Amino acid sequence: MSNRLNVNGKSVTVEGDESMPLLWYLRDTLSMKGTKFGCGMGLCGACTVHLDGQAVRACLTPVSTAIGKSVTTIEGLSEDGTHPLQVAWQENNVPQCGYCQAGQIMSAADFLKKNPSPTAEEIDAAMVGNICRCGTYVRIRKAIADAAEQMGGDNE
Amino acid sequence: MSDITLRKIDRRTFLKQSAIAAGSIPLAGLFVGVGKASATSASDGFAPNAFFHIAPNGDTTLWCGRCEMGQGISTALPAAVADELEVDWARVTILQGDADEKYGPQNTGGSQSINQMFEPMRKAGAAGREMLEKAAAQTWNVPVNQVEARNHAVYHKGDNRRLEYGELASLAGELPIPEEPTLKTRDAFRYIGKPLQRHDQGAIVVGERVYGADVVVPGMKYAAITHVPVMGGKVKSVDESGLGDLAEKVQVVTIDRFERPYGSLGGVGVVADNTWTAQQALKRLNIEWDLGPHATHDSDAYKAELVEHVEAPGTKVSERGDVDKALEEGAVRHAATYVGGYLSHSPMEPMASCVDVRDDRCEVWASTQAPQAIQEDLGAFLGREPKDITVHVMAAGGAFGRKFKCDYVQEAAALSQAVGAPVQLTWSREEDTRTGYYHSCSAQHIEAAIDDDGNVSAWLHRAAFPPIASLFDPTNKGPGERELGDVIRQPFAINNFRAEVGEAIAHTRIGWWRAVYNIFYGFAINVFVDELARKAKKDPVDLLRKMYSDYKGDEPERAKRALAVLNKAADMGGWGREVPEGHGLGIAVHYSFSSYTAMMVHVEVDGSDIKVHRVDCAVDCGLVLNPDIATAQMEGAVIMGIGLALNTEIQFKDGAVVNSNFHNYPVTRINDVPKEINVAFIGQENTSTGLGEPGVPTFAPALINAIYDASGKRHRSLPIRGSA
Repeated sequence: MSNRLNVNGKSVTVEGDESMPLLWYLRDTLSMKGTKFGCGMGLCGACTVHLDGQAVRACLTPVSTAIGKSVTTIEGLSEDGTHPLQVAWQENNVPQCGYCQAGQIMSAADFLKKNPSPTAEEIDAAMVGNICRCGTYVRIRKAIADAAEQMGGDNE
Repeated sequence: MSDITLRKIDRRTFLKQSAIAAGSIPLAGLFVGVGKASATSASDGFAPNAFFHIAPNGDTTLWCGRCEMGQGISTALPAAVADELEVDWARVTILQGDADEKYGPQNTGGSQSINQMFEPMRKAGAAGREMLEKAAAQTWNVPVNQVEARNHAVYHKGDNRRLEYGELASLAGELPIPEEPTLKTRDAFRYIGKPLQRHDQGAIVVGERVYGADVVVPGMKYAAITHVPVMGGKVKSVDESGLGDLAEKVQVVTIDRFERPYGSLGGVGVVADNTWTAQQALKRLNIEWDLGPHATHDSDAYKAELVEHVEAPGTKVSERGDVDKALEEGAVRHAATYVGGYLSHSPMEPMASCVDVRDDRCEVWASTQAPQAIQEDLGAFLGREPKDITVHVMAAGGAFGRKFKCDYVQEAAALSQAVGAPVQLTWSREEDTRTGYYHSCSAQHIEAAIDDDGNVSAWLHRAAFPPIASLFDPTNKGPGERELGDVIRQPFAINNFRAEVGEAIAHTRIGWWRAVYNIFYGFAINVFVDELARKAKKDPVDLLRKMYSDYKGDEPERAKRALAVLNKAADMGGWGREVPEGHGLGIAVHYSFSSYTAMMVHVEVDGSDIKVHRVDCAVDCGLVLNPDIATAQMEGAVIMGIGLALNTEIQFKDGAVVNSNFHNYPVTRINDVPKEINVAFIGQENTSTGLGEPGVPTFAPALINAIYDASGKRHRSLPIRGSA
């Protein structure tokens, strides 16, 4: 059984401790630093990545779980930073310190795939697991709504 | 007086810049040793000071000397340079300056960046513009008043000939640097006052912004740490026998308490090839602690003690008139006690840095608010000159005052020294939560009276809380006149006033936390005024208006500006409007860090369910450098205010912090955020002042007053829902 996984379109082989959370595998083993550590308990969402297209908390996902699957991180969300969410995030000047924003964007990207035309309440419910200590939530809401509209969601 | 306090303590203890008074940094001081000789050696060009370089091809680099932690300073200050320099923002690259006195004071706190650096930055740019204009005039052999710099070129006013900045760079670099360059008039501003997009947004949304935790250098090891649970304790023994298969993969290092205010509390570090291994090994260690003299600290009992201290006569620190007589004679009299808990900063990026200690050099890459303090502290730790410590300032993933105190950097240095390699140390969330420099818990007691004419005729204000001074002086027994400054200086018309303090001995490390003592002062003062007004059957806004309007003290401008933000917020929020059953309106106004904010809150209360619908904020921080960034600061202040008002408190039992992570230190999530936060800036004719902190103090009291309006329930202790 091959212990390979795909990260942003590139195949990599896992060596060593397969119980290592995907977060630390990405950050320390692959030196991909876009995915952030915030809590280590799945409480803050800063480490959110996509595993076969589904948003997961990388701090709670052993790298063994990702073997044979595809991982998408913020670095791979789009080729050139033009995912509608990345554009809307900049247009709304969402980030303050910016540290949590990769996780926010990755959570929102999965959410909009499942719900392309969300209501305000649905946006809040979807994003409740992502903490921003700077308090950029008002702009996160706006950016998600803008991106949904851009992506052709029938937003009210 | 926390802004002053911060500067005093910080500088007295640590900074070479101790002689520099806020707002009066001599331009010459920033330009020492620069000029032609300092132009970037790699490429010729024009760099008469530390803040910009124009290359022969016109490409322009701007340096920010202050630390970026999300407040947008690395856009706002370089934009001021760019504006006066008349460079094209599209051709500008912004870099963060390493720790270096050529940038002036870099330690970033007390909402001082704008206060201290706005004018020096403008002068740095204006000096360059004048030199470029002079170079063009010389080239054309015309008087300098016939030329004009405009958007990256100098034009001849008569025939519109032009020379690009790049073409002028080399000649401009030969010219003398003007000491007092002429600054633009406001109508000529190109970037100042405009909602310029932050320079770092593009990098953030693709995950390329590099924070302290993200630094990788060749040969680097990763580390984890656990700290002594109680201040003043130490490691008694470390049993490594449980390491098992990890024994071969890690190095265990005991870190001693480093006896400086920003030194390590002491603990045990583990160094490995990756963070996960280090964290796992740390859990397998059996560590015995000597908990030291503070091992009985219990925050609930301590707060109860503080309440006792403020409900009994205290030590007078400031007085005018005869408070006792005025209280006695008052037509309406009221007394109340307010309590607040310890707070943790909890930035999303825990404490993190990479340090490489070698025999001949020491290099630091840190998320920090205080690069020059790092130089002092590591200099002391390593027995080297501060200037020999190289500090690269990385983006800080939030800070809020915590990353002013870089104990974590000193720990990374200790680990690097022990293992002989660069070490990246990132604290776990649990360590971040339990090893803070906390916002003081506090008790305040206010007694006041309204006389027959409706004046607030007496105000007795007693406060007890462990002050930040305890960090610098272990014999400190509580706050004094300096710490009460932000009560004493509120511009209220109160003829009989007395401030008193009660004892409060610190049992943990206390630090600056966004807005510092103004959090509890703003809370107590504004809630008390609301209570007093209602007891006197007056409208709280009318009473506040009277308190400001009748002010006859030394700072009439202060009363006028406070009144103006109050009126603006009341107007924006529609003070006095009808709201549905179960809804309520509340207002608060506060002066801090030389800026003025007022907030009006619209809340809905249904049993224990509290829903903030709308917040209207009026701000006077003088001329706003970037209205979009300033608005974001106010939005953030509201959201941080929601957390401290409703949910967050650090609690101690047996000397140690009970909280550990976001489940029991529940900072604000999106579902608690109002749909509407409106922000207006007034008083822009005034001198620019800071806004990182002044928004925080007004939210909690406005909310508490609104809750009373909605439900008749008066909360006097924060947080109202409780944490753990």
